[in-house]
Amino acid sequence: MGAESESGSGVQSVDPDDVDAADILGSAIERREDPALLTGDAEYTDDIELPGMVHMTIKRSRHAHARIENIDTSEAEAMDGVIEVFTAADIEAPGNLPTGWLLDSLEQVDHPILAEDRVRYQGDALAVVVAEERYIAHDATDRIDVDYDRLGAVTEPSEALADDAPAVHDDASGNVAFDWDIGDAEKTDAAFDDADHVVDLDLENQLLIPNAMEPRAAVAEYNPSNDELAVHMTSQNPHLHRLLMSGVIDHPEHKLQVRAPDVGGGFGSKIHHYADEALVALAAKRHERPVKWTATRTETYLTDAQGRGHDTHAEMALSDDGDILGFRVDTAANLGAYLSTFAPAVPTYLYGTLLSGQYDIPAIYCSVTGAFTNVPPVDAYRGAGRPEASFVVERMIHRAAKEVGMDPAEFRRRNFVEEFPYQTQVAVEYDSGDYEKTLDRALDLLDYDELRERQEAARAEGKYVGVGLSAYIEACGLAPSELAGELGAQAGLWESGLVRFHPSGKVTAYCGTSGHGQGHDTTYAQIVANELGVDYEDVEVVEGDTDEIPQGMGTYGSRSAAVGGSALVKSSQKLVEKAKRIAAHQLEAAPEDIEFENGDFHVAGAPDRSMHIAEIATQAYLAHDMPDDMEPGLEATSFYDPDNFVFPFGLHAAVVEVDPDTGEIDIERYVAVDDVGNQINPKIVEGQIHGGVAQGIGQALYEGAEYDDNGQLVTGSMQDYTVPKAEHIPSMETDSTCTPSPVNPLGVKGVGEAGTIAAPQAVVNAVCDALDVDQIGMPMKAERVWRAANAATDGGEH
Amino acid sequence: MEFDGTFGLADVTTEEVWLALSDPVMIKNALPGCQFLVEVDNPDDVDFDALEEAAAEEEDPATLPEADPEEVAERGLAQGGHYAALVQVGVGSVKPRFETVVTIDRREFPEMDASGQGSASDSSFEMDSGMTLVETDDGVDVEWWTEADVFGRVAQMGQRVINPVANRVVGRFFKQVQKELSDVGDESSGLRDRISSYI
Repeated sequence: MGAESESGSGVQSVDPDDVDAADILGSAIERREDPALLTGDAEYTDDIELPGMVHMTIKRSRHAHARIENIDTSEAEAMDGVIEVFTAADIEAPGNLPTGWLLDSLEQVDHPILAEDRVRYQGDALAVVVAEERYIAHDATDRIDVDYDRLGAVTEPSEALADDAPAVHDDASGNVAFDWDIGDAEKTDAAFDDADHVVDLDLENQLLIPNAMEPRAAVAEYNPSNDELAVHMTSQNPHLHRLLMSGVIDHPEHKLQVRAPDVGGGFGSKIHHYADEALVALAAKRHERPVKWTATRTETYLTDAQGRGHDTHAEMALSDDGDILGFRVDTAANLGAYLSTFAPAVPTYLYGTLLSGQYDIPAIYCSVTGAFTNVPPVDAYRGAGRPEASFVVERMIHRAAKEVGMDPAEFRRRNFVEEFPYQTQVAVEYDSGDYEKTLDRALDLLDYDELRERQEAARAEGKYVGVGLSAYIEACGLAPSELAGELGAQAGLWESGLVRFHPSGKVTAYCGTSGHGQGHDTTYAQIVANELGVDYEDVEVVEGDTDEIPQGMGTYGSRSAAVGGSALVKSSQKLVEKAKRIAAHQLEAAPEDIEFENGDFHVAGAPDRSMHIAEIATQAYLAHDMPDDMEPGLEATSFYDPDNFVFPFGLHAAVVEVDPDTGEIDIERYVAVDDVGNQINPKIVEGQIHGGVAQGIGQALYEGAEYDDNGQLVTGSMQDYTVPKAEHIPSMETDSTCTPSPVNPLGVKGVGEAGTIAAPQAVVNAVCDALDVDQIGMPMKAERVWRAANAATDGGEH
Repeated sequence: MEFDGTFGLADVTTEEVWLALSDPVMIKNALPGCQFLVEVDNPDDVDFDALEEAAAEEEDPATLPEADPEEVAERGLAQGGHYAALVQVGVGSVKPRFETVVTIDRREFPEMDASGQGSASDSSFEMDSGMTLVETDDGVDVEWWTEADVFGRVAQMGQRVINPVANRVVGRFFKQVQKELSDVGDESSGLRDRISSYI
């Protein structure tokens, strides 16, 4: 769809054999993990079969909010093949799932792994069935009889905060989980007092269901003779899961192994510690047999932590000249029924801190109220807070440009941050950027002036063409840990990397991140091969196993390259340093006279006197001839804690044609110019942008978790919840600029969430532009667009 | 969820339809998937297993036109009466057996309102329903409506799946009622006159 310019025509991948070792970093080599994924050799959790393994299912609440009067498990227990049915009453003090991020005003509520006398969302866990076979377990689950006393339910955050709303937790008055704010209220009020214009919008960022291709699953095995418990599970952060689970099920951390086999996508939904995986571990301990649980697709719809869910009122103060003077944002954030692992951070520090966008805004104030509701817990979903922020900023910018009569591109340019580092009014400091560059590149690709002329001509013919811009910013690699701690994190946000030479000169790199589709095996090998000067094929990458890898923090928030990749760089550099001293010793030269190039150490001025690093690895393990006081071996570990976040940015643009008679939207072109700093592998970067944009367009046009008045999910399957398919996604024209980050040694910024953050408002702005209306809610289904179009042409309300 | 509709029954009188739609035996026979429909004393304490066993052993009594209208009127739905039914319906990929209890809230010829709830292993519903009989040129229109709250697995499939099922069940029900009633109209025994005397 649409003409592709040469620079927007995509990255061509290359065979690593065709790349010079010196050029491996930054090459678009093919992903080494793909053959296994494509041929079925990959091992997902549900592929694991262990001798004597039994199966587990979970009885879930039918109602969104009810008192539990009785659970009758007798009929299920009497079935052949059923080993045990247990409820909260059968386990000692069911553990509470902890919250990993605290805020001053946070109302911490109990979140038991099995509901005792009250359920708070449809899908809340009530009982566990363990059976010899999977289908017996499912049948038995259906025979558990639960008596409910149904209570009123509330699913929307603004409704939950209203006076007469049902109380989700008796302890949380008014369903308020927290009140939080950032910025300077007085200064912002003053800016509004001085404004020539004030614009405002009510914006809803709808609840989304993550829809990882692989449902959550866990297999646990327990060895009673040594008390060792191994849990293989769909995890984005095995070490974090191990730490949390060890507390929840009261099992010593050092005797608990959490391993993530191949994981088929997460988008944040596999960060959190849910009840289910802990129950699998408990069941394995109770029966001393391996236990498997795999969520059905229905369970993923009912229980995977959902994302977004904001009701926001935003106001922007403007001068006649088109300067932004102040920005005020008030948000009610849906937290669902309980506080999920990082839930309090998402609508606060990951949201309010990004409200300056790409703009120099002199006064900002943002207040957020977190609301308990009767939907599944809401937590990080691809972008996590930052898409919500960018959506509010860019929708308001679109509205503001119209108010002051400026072209939206020029209005943005006028207000861009130009000098870096830049201290925003909402706590963060941008590391580097060049926002005009991505804007200009995108306008160039769009042929913007011609496009505006065409738009006018089309309108004269009764056609509704619109252009929507989204100048996004995101923050990746949340750091340093000290700052995270001050803000309430109950974890550090550093990352570990262990690089180990084997005696033969081959290398294994271990990283505490845990890829689940991002291509870390490829990109980390590129990083390490480049640092060590060894062949790319000689580097193996290991992630996702607490028994093999030093303590790590996992993969989320587009942090893996910036933090994990940098940890591998640090470790590689330590290895090179040690190898250099061994080389100096064996070449009988001073270390400062040794030069290192493409894996070779040679004496300065005497290139013949050289040793390759692989040869030194052999020497390091032989240890026959080492410098004094040097230990044998050649491996190094780093725990890298960055000084700051990194701030990728870019300009995405959608060109749409809207049919006002049917409400249909045709995305004619989608242009994405991203600056994610240095690129380790441009093909993988492009793939992340493609996938992210697809998800963002999904939110703009199709997706949304919908509940009825009783809190029943009515979009509980892929037939009712539209996950965009290939036919729903336009061909994208991607391009990039490069502004390296000064924060980390790789100069990278992170790309995992960029597309998802940028896309929704590009499409909404385009539709608003086409119809010349101020606001259309997401998802922009045909009826909504038709109503907006027809209200607009009638000059009435919309 | 809300459902409503009008079903036209030809060549019948309002009284015949009223009596037929008040007859638990007729309703049980006409309702697809209905295992039994019997009056119960306490709607909060119904032993469906016992009722199912009893129903399996008993022969259904005759319905109109074979039955004596007096008997039919005698066993007819009563205002304030509670009725238990076991109904199995296929909805999409699942076939829940709903243990259902219905209360006749109002019964004033030609209008009737009822409320009830049903519960299956993984789904349940609560509903309010009503109907009005309207005489037409060639018979009777049954105007009916239901407001239902649906919970659990069936709810998740949403109105997309439930609507066609509801329409199918209602359609089959009235077709069967029509069939039985056309036999009433065929009788030349003065049944019509006898029926109207019971309204």
